[in-house]
Amino acid sequence: MDVNAGKHDHRSHIFSGLENHRDPEVWDKVTGRAVYGIDLEFPGMLYGKILRSPHPHARIKSIDSSRAEAVPGVRAVLTAEDIRCKKYGIVVKDEFPLAHEKVRYIGDEVACVAAVDPGTAEYAAALIQVEYEPLPAVYDPEKALLDDAPQLHDDFPGNIAWERDLIRGDPERAFREADFFVEDTFSVPSVHPTYLEPIACVAISRPGVGLDLHTALQSPDVVRSLLADVLGLSLSRVRVSGPVMGGGFGGRVYGNLKLYLLSALLSMHTGLPVKMQLTREEEFTVGRPLIAAKIKMKMALNRDGKIIAREADIFTDNGAYSAQAPWVSKTLSERNDSLYRIPHIKTKARLVYTNKVPTAQYRAYGNQAANFACESLLDQAAQKIGIDPLELRLKNCTQSGDTTVHGLQIKSCALEDCLERAAKEIGWFEKNKDRGYGISAGIHANGSLVANKDFRGASARAVLELDGQVTVYTGEQDYGQGAHTAFARIAANVLGLEPEKVSIQSRDTLLTPYSQGALAMRQTTVGGRAIQLAAEELKRAIEQKASEITGEKNEMDAGQLMSTAGVTTGLEEVAHYYHHETSGLTLYGEGKFVPPPAAYDQSSYGNISLTYSFAAHAAEVSVDQNTGALIVHRSVAVHDSGRIVNYIAARGQVCGGVTQGLGMSCHESYIFENGRVVNASLADYRIPTSLDVPEIDCHFIEKADPEGPFGAKGLGEIVMVPVLGAVANAVFDATGIQVTNLPITAEKIYQALSREGC
Amino acid sequence: MGYEIAENLKHALDLLRGNKSKAQVIAGATDLFLQGLPEQVVDLSGVPELTCMEAKDGHLYLGSSITHAEAAHSPLINEEASALAEACLSVGSPQVRNAGTIGGNIINAAPAADAAVALVGLGAEAVLVGTDGRSRRMAVEKLYSDYNCSTIDSSSEIMTTLVVKLNREEEGSAFSRFSPRRALSLPLLNTAVRLHLIGGRIEEIRLVVAPAQPAPTRLIKTEEKLLGFIPGKDSWDEVAKIASDEADVRGSLLRCSEQYRRHLVGVLTVDALQKAVNRARNAEGSS
Repeated sequence: MDVNAGKHDHRSHIFSGLENHRDPEVWDKVTGRAVYGIDLEFPGMLYGKILRSPHPHARIKSIDSSRAEAVPGVRAVLTAEDIRCKKYGIVVKDEFPLAHEKVRYIGDEVACVAAVDPGTAEYAAALIQVEYEPLPAVYDPEKALLDDAPQLHDDFPGNIAWERDLIRGDPERAFREADFFVEDTFSVPSVHPTYLEPIACVAISRPGVGLDLHTALQSPDVVRSLLADVLGLSLSRVRVSGPVMGGGFGGRVYGNLKLYLLSALLSMHTGLPVKMQLTREEEFTVGRPLIAAKIKMKMALNRDGKIIAREADIFTDNGAYSAQAPWVSKTLSERNDSLYRIPHIKTKARLVYTNKVPTAQYRAYGNQAANFACESLLDQAAQKIGIDPLELRLKNCTQSGDTTVHGLQIKSCALEDCLERAAKEIGWFEKNKDRGYGISAGIHANGSLVANKDFRGASARAVLELDGQVTVYTGEQDYGQGAHTAFARIAANVLGLEPEKVSIQSRDTLLTPYSQGALAMRQTTVGGRAIQLAAEELKRAIEQKASEITGEKNEMDAGQLMSTAGVTTGLEEVAHYYHHETSGLTLYGEGKFVPPPAAYDQSSYGNISLTYSFAAHAAEVSVDQNTGALIVHRSVAVHDSGRIVNYIAARGQVCGGVTQGLGMSCHESYIFENGRVVNASLADYRIPTSLDVPEIDCHFIEKADPEGPFGAKGLGEIVMVPVLGAVANAVFDATGIQVTNLPITAEKIYQALSREGC
Repeated sequence: MGYEIAENLKHALDLLRGNKSKAQVIAGATDLFLQGLPEQVVDLSGVPELTCMEAKDGHLYLGSSITHAEAAHSPLINEEASALAEACLSVGSPQVRNAGTIGGNIINAAPAADAAVALVGLGAEAVLVGTDGRSRRMAVEKLYSDYNCSTIDSSSEIMTTLVVKLNREEEGSAFSRFSPRRALSLPLLNTAVRLHLIGGRIEEIRLVVAPAQPAPTRLIKTEEKLLGFIPGKDSWDEVAKIASDEADVRGSLLRCSEQYRRHLVGVLTVDALQKAVNRARNAEGSS
């Protein structure tokens, strides 16, 4: 993989000269010293294993765990009868820690065992006798909506977990009056984030003290609240702290709640630490992949290439339980509507229960699925109207200052620049005739103002240590995406310190302010603003204290304090002065970044996020007409993420996101047979290898955003959004056929070419 | 797991005898250990008799514990058994190629194991010695009893050498493969061919595809049709169709449909044939 960052004018850049500033944890990772969940060990620790349902849908008639309990080394066996917990769920409550009465997919948790070693636990779990009465199962969302379909949950009649009907403007009239319309049906399968480290945790329950859960999470505070609530514990007695995370990509926002709850319950029953970890096979069969989607989309355009309306009918496949799938479905069904200026919208979306692996999310929250449909359809429209696909997009771009069809307020937007740059870099105007070229764009929000309307922002605490260095406490999470270096740079920039003098403390709910977590591309933009404000508060506190020491007004610059008379005071001196004055306290500044409430109505019209990132990608491919084999030769990614805080980390995000996007475009898919995942291994669930990744050419259009810290916006998730459309459109350009069901495999291309009679 | 390291072939057979057919031989162990650790193993990777690589008396002698990486990069194998070198280069990843051996590739008996497919295409024979002191020599395709089952009991028999005839004038071989990913991926189809031209016509040919049956399978009818075929004059399209019709391939949910695999038989057969023809022509006058 060749990575080309393009040229940046470092001289004028606020974060210039920091090319050698690295997160110290990077060295731990590359030298094997980093401690991951899988590495954790505690004295007396037990190991937990889970007995899972072999049936896609069945009633549990009886469970006999006596043989398991009799195995030497077994310390606890739990079934639903042994535990009293509330039903829980991230959006809708549809799960118990262990199946009550019914199992709803192959892998559903039925019982769990804690034993002195993993082998004994596994052996004992297999001895639990469960008598099932198999029930009819349903695997296809559209079939699950039929009147006579098997019903999964009593609380969700008709198997509908969430649904939405949305009309903006007058789409029917727009379709009547349009010069052209295009329509097609697109399907995107379930895909897994395939982080390198399978989820692992250790729960330690100490009677009278509380519960500690050690696991790496993107959103530990939310998981902590949920654990306390479901287990009936006092919130203040539950602590979640994290080892280093071996990759998350959205899959570890709430991780595997079942695993955390069961290890906690086993620890509460035994009084000993209990470690549980998923195998790779379990990651695929019981982990929480992205929802699959089927999108029927129709777009109306005028002769001049203006899009005037769009209609979408969307089915998302929830699997057996919901987690955050309703929110993912909402993002999937709405966000892409604001990429272009589309005045009339009609959307029907249904999230449907099926007897398959429960779902959640993956980088970009489903936005990439709708984007794939939209961008593919735009190229069909371009062909129909007889207009260049680039020009068609440029005619319809959302612009800075727009309020979009759903009420999003676009405060900064370089979408046109991104498109023009992507076209230029891929060679749009001097195409090689043996290759296919595709272009595509994307929008993604930076944090949510409406997921919890009362909790929209972030907070942080910056502390002046006695040695004159600064520690920042934040509930935001670094899981490899570079949040810590971004935060250190932001705080250091405010205080005039070298970023090496700022250390970031996170991953411990006891020590850090509450946060929504590393999700929705909010870390740098929202979390970073709180850190900026905390550093500014600390700076004021330091200046005030220095003024007390010197008896004159002080100003801080480049880590030094200078009084009006020119007397300098060091940070250490100020720290010690306050330390002695208070007999032990340290000077601190608290940053509270609280965006104003969004006007957000019943129809969910309103500005749902602080700001929005934009991107345009282009791909160059070739297709073997004989076999359909596809080679992606080059990928150009141009991003408007405002000002870039750390080029190295930003390029890492782009390369990783493009690679995952290519995996989703060309390789990855859950394959089911009667509810069973048949490709539950990394040999058969094929993510791209380094040989499959093309040259990635990465560019940033650095327009400062008015909201983010020093003009920065989010980058992590949007990278994945335009990849699918760019590849699909390049294949369309190369072959004249569009593959509308991902992944775009050689066989699908070949079959389409055969149908076309090529 | 008990682990014994054999110093030479005699020692290896002694160790197997000592374990009374309860030990498994390993070399690269890249496939074997995926099925769990055996109770007792005899490691053959240091046995010098199993690493030979030489041409003599019109034959190429290849030790069974030659790794895929060694085979892929050997000038001798690239010259005399091009199909094997190509096949070995396409296996797994560099790590797998550095550890996995060509003998293991046969004994593991996967239906589309690349090195095994190439060796069958080349007409290789395997030399085996048993703990009972007997030795046998078998065509590689005869070493399969079922899907993923070898007739070799590696607790009492060791494959020592693979024997391949050296190329004559105007003789060449080739291997072609199609997989959904560029590394670490089982092939949807692979094919190996060895052919001998006389006066521009195909005079002798072996054509093998996999996965079809438990062993890499020769397309006998296609081979017959190809006798007398004049590359550059006769139609490759017809060859593709005949091969496609003959191959006994199936579809699977995990890999691809039968129809697509059948189509690939034609495409890859012609691709391998054309490469082999070019090599046969270029080999003229050499060796």
